[in-house]
Amino acid sequence: MSTKIAGLIIGIVFGVTLSWSGMTSPEVIREGLMFQSTYLFFFFGAAMLTAMGGLFVLKRKAPRALLTGEKVQWETIKPERRHVLGSLLFGIGWGLSDACPGPIATQLGQGIWWGIPTTVGLVTGIVVFRRMQARAAADPERARAPSSVIPSRTAADATA
Amino acid sequence: MLHTQLPWWIGGPVLGLCVVAMRWLMNERLGVVGAFTNVIDTVAEHRPSFGPFGFMLFGIIGGGALFAVLAGGPDFHGYGWLTDAFDSTALIVGILFVSGVLIGLGAKIAGGCTAGNGLSGNAMASPASMVATATFFATGIVVTLLTAALF
Repeated sequence: MSTKIAGLIIGIVFGVTLSWSGMTSPEVIREGLMFQSTYLFFFFGAAMLTAMGGLFVLKRKAPRALLTGEKVQWETIKPERRHVLGSLLFGIGWGLSDACPGPIATQLGQGIWWGIPTTVGLVTGIVVFRRMQARAAADPERARAPSSVIPSRTAADATA
Repeated sequence: MLHTQLPWWIGGPVLGLCVVAMRWLMNERLGVVGAFTNVIDTVAEHRPSFGPFGFMLFGIIGGGALFAVLAGGPDFHGYGWLTDAFDSTALIVGILFVSGVLIGLGAKIAGGCTAGNGLSGNAMASPASMVATATFFATGIVVTLLTAALF
């Protein structure tokens, strides 16, 4: 099986589960963030703990990735300014729209047209970021400054 | 049946297993902003084909569509607090667009969204992801409580 087919299947499982859990609905996310419902936190916590347990097992029992043969390994990094600043912007958008990238994609899939302006914004944000990266790359001194919050393309794409 | 919310103790672990599957099959960190980025980069750079992340995005959209078909249409009326608080569709569309920009740009700067940092990064025990997750949850909660108080 190719990695593309695998990605597609994982996406379908992810999309159906997000939809069935009600995450496509802004009400469900909002009730969670307002502490009116515990569902969001239990759902998120259960997902994270399952992933954590699974990765823990993989790291010990699965030395090679099944499809690519790559070594199963990852690196983590220490928090930088950009993790706080970026997540601050992200949190404002999340709190206003009660949608994050996964739910935005399932809104599109379910044919909910409110997802369109959010998607156009999301794509714009990513394109703006790529432009900022290109500008920073053309001016290496600025990109290396400790205050820089624009990670280089390799650093941004390779780490958590 | 599909209109009944899946119990969290089923939905959560299935989502977590998607993270594990990405790692086990191809040693990748599952992230949805990364999926959008792959589609954008592929188009912008005229690459011959989308990568596994691009296909994952198509899968997520397709999963939403599949759900809507099986459930007989989306269970959706209005758009949450925005349609309750405002009458102007143009204003709501504007707010959603700006939110989208903040989500996209913010996630790229922070190196991940609710999936990339929140699920995958924390599961990888990444200190940066833990800080990112604490920040976006705290910000999301404050913004939600503020809008609830103001409108």
